[in-house]
Amino acid sequence: MSSIEVTNLQKTFQTKRKAAGMRGSLRALFKPEYNTVEAVRGLSFQMEAGELLGFIGPNGAGKSTTIKILTGILHPTSGDAKVLGFVPWKERQKLAYHIGTVFGQRPQLWYHLPAIDTFMLFGKIYELDDCETKKRISFLSEAFEIRDLLETPVRKLSLGQRMRCEVAASLLHRPKLLLLDEPSIGLDVVAKQHIRDAIRTMSQEEKVGVLLTSHDAGDLEALCRRVIIINHGQIVYEDKVSNLKRKFLTRKMVEVRYAEEVPPTFSIDGVEILKVGSYGVKLRFDTTKTPVDAVMAHLSQAGELVDITVSDPPLEEVIAKIYTANSVVE
Amino acid sequence: MKKYLSILTMQIINNIAYPGDFLGRSISIATFIFIFAGLWGTTFTIANTDAINGLTFPNMVWYFMMAETLELGRPRINRTISEQVKNGEVAYILNKPYNFLLYHFSAGLGDGAVRMTLNLIVGSIVAWILAGAPPAPLGWLMAFVTLIGAWILHFCFMALIGLAAFVVEETNSFELIYQKLVFILGGFLFPLDMFPTWLQNIAYALPFPYMMYAPARLFVKPDVDLFWRMLGGQAIWVTVFVFILAFVYQRSEKYLTVNGG
Amino acid sequence: MRQVKFIFALWKANLQAAMEFRAAFFTQIIFMMINNGVYFIFWILYFDKFNAVRGWDINTMMLLFGITASAWGIGAFFFGNFISLAEVIVGGRLDYYLSLPRPVLLHVLASKSIGSGMGDLIYGIGSFMLSGYFTPDGTLRFLLGVFAGVCIFIGFLVIVQSLSFWLGNTVALSQFALSALLTFSLYPSVLFDATTKFILLTLIPAALIGTIPAEFVREFSWQSAIQMVSGPLVFLFLSIFIFKLGLKRYESGSAIQVEV
Repeated sequence: MSSIEVTNLQKTFQTKRKAAGMRGSLRALFKPEYNTVEAVRGLSFQMEAGELLGFIGPNGAGKSTTIKILTGILHPTSGDAKVLGFVPWKERQKLAYHIGTVFGQRPQLWYHLPAIDTFMLFGKIYELDDCETKKRISFLSEAFEIRDLLETPVRKLSLGQRMRCEVAASLLHRPKLLLLDEPSIGLDVVAKQHIRDAIRTMSQEEKVGVLLTSHDAGDLEALCRRVIIINHGQIVYEDKVSNLKRKFLTRKMVEVRYAEEVPPTFSIDGVEILKVGSYGVKLRFDTTKTPVDAVMAHLSQAGELVDITVSDPPLEEVIAKIYTANSVVE
Repeated sequence: MKKYLSILTMQIINNIAYPGDFLGRSISIATFIFIFAGLWGTTFTIANTDAINGLTFPNMVWYFMMAETLELGRPRINRTISEQVKNGEVAYILNKPYNFLLYHFSAGLGDGAVRMTLNLIVGSIVAWILAGAPPAPLGWLMAFVTLIGAWILHFCFMALIGLAAFVVEETNSFELIYQKLVFILGGFLFPLDMFPTWLQNIAYALPFPYMMYAPARLFVKPDVDLFWRMLGGQAIWVTVFVFILAFVYQRSEKYLTVNGG
Repeated sequence: MRQVKFIFALWKANLQAAMEFRAAFFTQIIFMMINNGVYFIFWILYFDKFNAVRGWDINTMMLLFGITASAWGIGAFFFGNFISLAEVIVGGRLDYYLSLPRPVLLHVLASKSIGSGMGDLIYGIGSFMLSGYFTPDGTLRFLLGVFAGVCIFIGFLVIVQSLSFWLGNTVALSQFALSALLTFSLYPSVLFDATTKFILLTLIPAALIGTIPAEFVREFSWQSAIQMVSGPLVFLFLSIFIFKLGLKRYESGSAIQVEV
């Protein structure tokens, strides 16, 4: 069963255009000119129940707009969508009982209150009874390690702590689907890891589907099975994350260190030498063109190996490549 | 001195750049004069008289026009100052090569000059339509001279309220009370002439009539005797409040250097 | 009934938030009461001199202040967002309310509490109790009048601020509408000519907040009873209708004005 079905979704915004300065303001007042911005252009995709799907794209690609349509916040200009069997913009309230949302840039916890108070309020909003709410809060505070933070006013929490509380709050009513818009924005590396772990655990334990937008490829690698990359409001790539890696992460970077000095003329066929130091070499090659074992054999023949590091290029780089490939097609 | 003049002109230019605010304030002053004229028009009709305590209906409307010009033309300096105190910006401004209070005084004067001019134009048109020709030139002259003292007194009050943010979280309450005291004891809603004598005596013992009643009353009924009395009163109260303000400001500056903002 | 429970939960959260700054909260309440009291001195002075204007005396005036202050106080304290709805819409803050399973407008309005509103409410009730109409049936009519006032305050401002869905930023317009409504509602509309009176019943419905309820409390009449029931209902329904219509055009802050 699919939890989200989207067919040919479109959303255009009319934005007022205004020349700078007072004269521009006056002209805009009496004779407004409009620009049409196509935020989403004919998007179609499906998401299975319990799936972990990543929505990746640069700023302004239409990710947030899509999520907002799927939660019923925005009305689309045209096209169809069903989320858990509901048409979001027509059955917003019914749908809201079954989904959880987190907008990274729009906090939902009451700023001046301790998180526990917002949790209790959410219990009322979702019509849970108090006893059930308390049990659930205690469970979630274990899962998200926020037990000690619950009594502190939210304004005194760090961003990372607050985001963990935010995600926990969105799971209070046992939603079947979690929509996360930029959940890791602005967080440091440790806080990001923390929140990803918690989301992954929860989705596995409670079979919650997760649709996540991010412009951080790390979220995608850590959380998602499948990825949709969008740019300019259209899907430019859609596949399993593992396939994405297999297809695009074919270039390996290798750094080796030797016990003795290396001749500066060091070279291997089909391998790009990035740097040759007196005791080490840094090189890059494509595994589909040059066999790994051949390269390794060469490296070990050159001298006594002390250390070796193999790394993939960062996923950001790969995605950036897909974007540019797409914009060239246009 | 020159730098304060440029702060003043900057503020004037800044003000002209927002036609929306312009429009909003014009409609506001027009509305208020309209309501006031309605109230007093009806009152004069019912009382079936030309003058109440020496003031005629046109006197009342023009009186209120001048009072509103000042009240609506007075920038809320206290809000700016308490904002700067609360968010710590004040610490940076104190280090700049100009006096914090004089900066706000010149900026406020530039801002106020534009607003008051506009209020005066729009207000005069509305008052003329509702109550007939404006007061004599001598009235305008006396009003302008006493407006200066009134403005300085307003500035002292607003600056003190703004600086109160060093001590208390919430200064809006003080603003409300100060405004209401001017409304009543300053003769904003009701000229002092119509007060019972005991209340007049109380009012004259306080600074408020010199902040509102003086320019408005001299405007509609210029009176040399009253003019000198008002000017004298303003001189005394300005001296008192400038001293208080200077003292409070010095204390706050010390507070800042000790507590680091 | 479901929504009543929910509203109470929101009010509880508001109160909890206010208690985080309880000193400021109580100061605001007390100062607002003093503020209103000082303002009313004007009318004491006025009626001391003129006794009555077209049937209005100091007691009717206390009724009018009582009703307007109570209505404003209830709106501000319990539905505090009714004066900042335009900012909520323009700033994209409706997202939060739209992602939760409750009526959006109700949820927005009740999600903020303006502490000083409690001061207005206490002042309003006090002003009514001292007005000389504090009898059982007077109280009943007073309650009805306050209810009408609350509906007009909220309904009118929701309509004006919902224009933000179509016109973009209307914060300045809303502020003007608010100040006009509030100012006019504090004066008896008998002071004005027929055209102005009509405007005060329709375009700026200030008479439906102050004058008509006050006259209704003073003396029962079918005309004011009908005006008091129909006016608020019209404004309330119109506001809900326009807000819902606008919601379809909600842009969640995504459409940024482009400067060229």
